[in-house]
Amino acid sequence: MSLIDTQRSFLAEIAADDDAPPSSLGMAIYRNAYRARLSDALAISFERTRRWVGEDLFDTAAAHYILAHPPSNWTLDAFGDRFSEALETLFAEDPEVAELAWLEWHMQQAFAAPDRSELTAAQLGAAGLADPDWAEIRFTMAAGFAARPTRHDLARLWHSLSDVGTPVEGVDTTEPQVLIVWRQQFRPRFRLIDQEEAAVLDNLSNGLPFGQAASECDPDQLGRWLAAWLTDGLFSAFSVDAATDLAVPDAASRSLT
Amino acid sequence: MNQTIDPFTGFGLGLRKEHHADFLAEQQPVDFVEIISENFMACGGRPLATLRAVRERYPVIMHGVSMSLGSARGPDRAYLAELKALARQIDPLWLSDHLCWTGIDAHNSHDLLPLPYTEEALDRFCANLTFAQDVLERPLLIENPSSYVSFAESTMTEWEFLAAMAERTGCYLLLDVNNVYVTSVNHRFDPAAFLQAIPPDRVRQIHLAGHSAGPESMLIDTHDAAVRAEVWELYAQAVRLFGPCATMIERDDAIPPLAELLAELDQARSAARLPA
Repeated sequence: MSLIDTQRSFLAEIAADDDAPPSSLGMAIYRNAYRARLSDALAISFERTRRWVGEDLFDTAAAHYILAHPPSNWTLDAFGDRFSEALETLFAEDPEVAELAWLEWHMQQAFAAPDRSELTAAQLGAAGLADPDWAEIRFTMAAGFAARPTRHDLARLWHSLSDVGTPVEGVDTTEPQVLIVWRQQFRPRFRLIDQEEAAVLDNLSNGLPFGQAASECDPDQLGRWLAAWLTDGLFSAFSVDAATDLAVPDAASRSLT
Repeated sequence: MNQTIDPFTGFGLGLRKEHHADFLAEQQPVDFVEIISENFMACGGRPLATLRAVRERYPVIMHGVSMSLGSARGPDRAYLAELKALARQIDPLWLSDHLCWTGIDAHNSHDLLPLPYTEEALDRFCANLTFAQDVLERPLLIENPSSYVSFAESTMTEWEFLAAMAERTGCYLLLDVNNVYVTSVNHRFDPAAFLQAIPPDRVRQIHLAGHSAGPESMLIDTHDAAVRAEVWELYAQAVRLFGPCATMIERDDAIPPLAELLAELDQARSAARLPA
C-alpha cells in the first residue's frame, strides 16, 4: 500500500464511530486518544457552556461535533470554531446555549488574538481633525472584535457560571440586543448593546467612513457612543483620506499603525 | 543543509501555564525552557507577552507538534510561515518536531501518528524535512515518538530510519528516552540497541517524561507522572553514549508545583554525572 493510502486508511479508522471497531489494540489506543484530545479541547474552550447544559449532554454534543467536523487546522485551539453553530441545531429549543458558546469562543479568541494598539481619545484629539474630516474617518476595530444578536441576558448568565458565581435556574429573555466582544489591553471584554448602536459599529467594522456609518444617528447620541467606545478601547487605529492624512501628527501616526 | 547547531548543555523544563508566574517571579534554576510552539503562533495578548518576558530571562527552545513532516502530502506552508515568524521574535536555541505525521487531506488528528519505516516514507520524510529546513533557514531537531502500532510493510527499524534521515538531511536529533523505552516495550525490542544505533554527533537534546500502563502490557506515553526507574537507567546509558547535552523533563498532565519538577531535574543532573 502506498504511503498516502496507508495514511488515509489509518486516519479514517481512528476517526470512525463505534460501528467500525478498531482493527488492533494499538489502533484502539490511537482512536481513544483522538477522541479524548478533541473532547477535552471542547470541554476547556466551552467550560461555562458545559456547566450550563450539564456534562452528559455536553459530552454527547461534543461527540456529535467530533464526528461531523473533523479538525482541519494545525492548531487544536481552532477546533471549536463551528461548535456554537452546531449547538444551534442540537439545542434548538434552548437558543441561549449556542449564544453562550459563541460568547465563550470569542472571549477565548480575543484573549490570544494578534496584538493591535489601542486608539485613545487623546490620540484622536491630537490628530487635529477638521470638521469635514470626521465624516471621512474610518476605524480599525480592536483585537478580537466580534458581534452577534441575542435575546438573552448573557451577562447575568456568564457571571453566574464563573467559578465563584451563584448558579441561576433560568436565563432571562430580553429585547433583541447585540453582544459584542473585544480585547482591551490583555483583558477580553463583552457588552450587550442596543441594535441602533450595534448597527453603527457593524458599519464601522465593515470599513464604512464615520459619516456614512452613522448617517441615521442623533449627533449627541453619537458623541456619547464615540466617547464610550474610545474609553472601552473598541478601536485600534483610524485613517482618513490621503489629503487629510497629512494633517495627522507624526506621533499619532506612528502609534496608530 | 550545511548549517550546524552547536551543542548546548544544561537542564530545562517545559514552560506550562501553571508555572508562568513562578518563572517570572524569580530566576529559576534551569538553563533553558522549552515551549510548545503552536501555543504561541499567530497569537498576541497575554500569552505572547508572557513568552517575551520569559525569553528575556531564559534561553528558549521551540518544540512543535504539528509540522507533520511524515505526511504524504507535505508540510503546510502557512504553518511554516507562522512558525518562522515566531522564531524570528523569540530567537530560540533551536526548533524541533517529531518523526511522525499528524494528518492528511485537511484532516488533522492532533496526534503524533506513526510511519511505516519504508524507503517511500523515508524519501517523503526527508523531502518534507529538507523543504521545512530551507523555509525556516535552519536545521531542525527531530524527535523519536512513542508508538502503539507497527506496520507489516516496514523494511527498516526506527533507529535505522532516524540515522538515514539525519545523514540525508543534516538534521539533528532530539532523543526522547521515555519514548524509546515505551516503544521498546510495545514493540518488543531492546532499547539499548536503539540507543547504540543513533549517530552520537547528531544528538543535541534529550527528553525525559513519565508514562503509564496501558491495556495488555502496553505502555502509554502520558507525561502525567514522574520519570520511571527504567527510563532513568536508559538515560544514564544515553549520557554515556552521547555525552552531556540539553536535557529536559516534560510534564503535560497532572502538573505538580514547580518545586517538584525542579527536584526531578536535579535527579537528571545527578544521573548525568554518574561515572561510566
